[in-house]
Amino acid sequence: MWLNLLKNLITRKEAIRFYKSKTQTPANREAETLFSGEGKMNRVFGKSLKIRQVDAGSCNACEWECTALTNPIYDIQRFGIDFVASPRHADVLLVTGPVSRQMELALKKTYLAMPDPKIVITCGDCSNDGGVFRGSYAVTDGVGNVIPVDYHIPGCPPSPTTITRKLLKLMEKI
Amino acid sequence: MPENEEYKEVGKSEFRSHCIALCLSKKAVLRLMFATDERDTDNCFKIYAVFSEQGRDMFHIPFFRLREDDLTFRSITDGIPAAHWYEREIMDMFGLVPKYHPDQRRLVFHDSFPANSHPLRKDWTISEKDLNEWGKGVAKKVPHDFLKVEGEGVYEIPVGPIHAGIIEPGHFRFSAVGETILYLEPRMFYTHKGIEKHFEGMSFQEGVRLSERVSGTSTFSHSVAYCMAVERMAGINVTEKAQATRTLLLELERLYNHIGDIGFLCAGTGFTVGNATGSKIKEMLMLLNDRLTKSRYLRGVNTIGGVTMDILLHTTDISLTIDTVAKEYKNLMKLLLGTVSHIERLENAGRLSKETVMKLGVTGIAAKASGIEDDIRRSHPHLIYNKIFDAATFTRQDGDVLARMMARAEEAECSMHMIKTIVEVQYEGDLQVKADDIPPNSHALGYTETPRGSLFYWVKSDGKGRPSRVKLRSPSYCNWPAVPFAAQGNIVPDFPLCNKSFNLSYSGCNM
Repeated sequence: MWLNLLKNLITRKEAIRFYKSKTQTPANREAETLFSGEGKMNRVFGKSLKIRQVDAGSCNACEWECTALTNPIYDIQRFGIDFVASPRHADVLLVTGPVSRQMELALKKTYLAMPDPKIVITCGDCSNDGGVFRGSYAVTDGVGNVIPVDYHIPGCPPSPTTITRKLLKLMEKI
Repeated sequence: MPENEEYKEVGKSEFRSHCIALCLSKKAVLRLMFATDERDTDNCFKIYAVFSEQGRDMFHIPFFRLREDDLTFRSITDGIPAAHWYEREIMDMFGLVPKYHPDQRRLVFHDSFPANSHPLRKDWTISEKDLNEWGKGVAKKVPHDFLKVEGEGVYEIPVGPIHAGIIEPGHFRFSAVGETILYLEPRMFYTHKGIEKHFEGMSFQEGVRLSERVSGTSTFSHSVAYCMAVERMAGINVTEKAQATRTLLLELERLYNHIGDIGFLCAGTGFTVGNATGSKIKEMLMLLNDRLTKSRYLRGVNTIGGVTMDILLHTTDISLTIDTVAKEYKNLMKLLLGTVSHIERLENAGRLSKETVMKLGVTGIAAKASGIEDDIRRSHPHLIYNKIFDAATFTRQDGDVLARMMARAEEAECSMHMIKTIVEVQYEGDLQVKADDIPPNSHALGYTETPRGSLFYWVKSDGKGRPSRVKLRSPSYCNWPAVPFAAQGNIVPDFPLCNKSFNLSYSGCNM
């Protein structure tokens, strides 16, 4: 997990350096006057976390809690967090469910379709170790057995408040 | 043995004619069909079919024995089309082959699951290698062929299993001409978790936790039906207070689902205000659930023999919240019905005919919207429904998306009314009665009405009083086959709308 986070940090610094070296055109000069300094640039571009959610055999409660995050009460978009339609657009893969065997391949393909650096978050108790489904022939007892996991949000299902808090904490770290 | 279950053993050859006679003479509806492996006690497999009689609180359950020397039986699908998924499931899970079934493909298992391997047989084992290959999904051990539609300009659109939004996985294969859907074949069971087999490995009491996690938004209905089945089997009479609590929470669950679904339909037509308002009202109800039970999905309330917490202490909170919800809900409906661009999209979209509903045994909202009064709360009264359920019917005749929305709206209003009625009365009795040992070798049905339709559990105990078979049939299981019929002839962009109007659970269907 730390390795991935570190990788992400390095990539971001490189991105900033790359941006600074290319400030020749008038448009870029304009941008530089607008976002002068690393801190300001991070303030503008930094607060963004795009999530691709994949249900790998959950009971659908976690999905509804993720949907609730975008309602007017929790409104998670105000923190720069949003759910995207394609894994190609995502920073984070949010996986729910114990990973049923018939979803294993689809989950792996989604993971591989994501650009680096990528973070995998598991959401809900059964995604951690299989939870109540642990030991059934048709589940793989947790996302960790299929793809590498960085972060876990506990709860059955975790409430939208819990998910928001955990995601914000994660954003603070990266 | 519960009074409203009538078991009747028939010969293997007479089973089909007996079932068809039941359908014709008593206007019975096939609710559930399943097999059991009773080779250790009776040296045979048994296949049961559960029919509910119309207009009378009675379940007719014919069954027959299958000896191991001949594991085929005559399919009843050609006479009773509602049996088509059940028979394919029996073939997958037990290896009992329905002869003359029009569709001999697998239902539950995908291509990489080994052939001739049937998990619900008691002596079933699977090697680690086969399990890994199943997960990898590369080896095509039993290929699945989608039905091919041929003709000029026909093309296929494969969608899924992972969709663009935050929803459950399933594969849809559209055959379309231009924008019009000619044929749609869904491929389900991506979230198959082996729940029925998993039930057999735990005690009846532990099973309550598992039943709560079959389908997230019908958590409470599933645990009620499961507990009811075990209680009926063990002859436990639940107190009036526990029954009232269960009824109250069932209606709260129905309410948040219906209001959420009505709002969510707006996401299909791009009507953002409606969607936001609907989800706001739903959230108010979810927060109420959280205050009442410490769980937004009403988990951890049910137990065998009653309920674990006294919800009826919070009557003021409940009635105040319901008053606020009722007011906001009225405004939402006014907004939706007054928005022509929204209603125009719903009208005539996803029409499901009455004939299809009757043939496929469609249940719940989808049946009510097509003119069939299918409500197990009325036809088989349980809990305290016979005291509080008034005579109103929610049927609509059109069978389109609008009809399903209006059926939901009427049911939601009825739920609010029922909740108010329940909290006005004082109930006697303890929260739970002691659940003694489960009697060995007995069985019973449990049922209730979820927000999506009727739900059934059938449980059977073995010689030591532990679960030997738990069969569950969620409403989504019998409504999924109807979705392609509703989608046919619509344009592809309207499919999400049709799908949302049914709002079926994948996890509940895939078990």
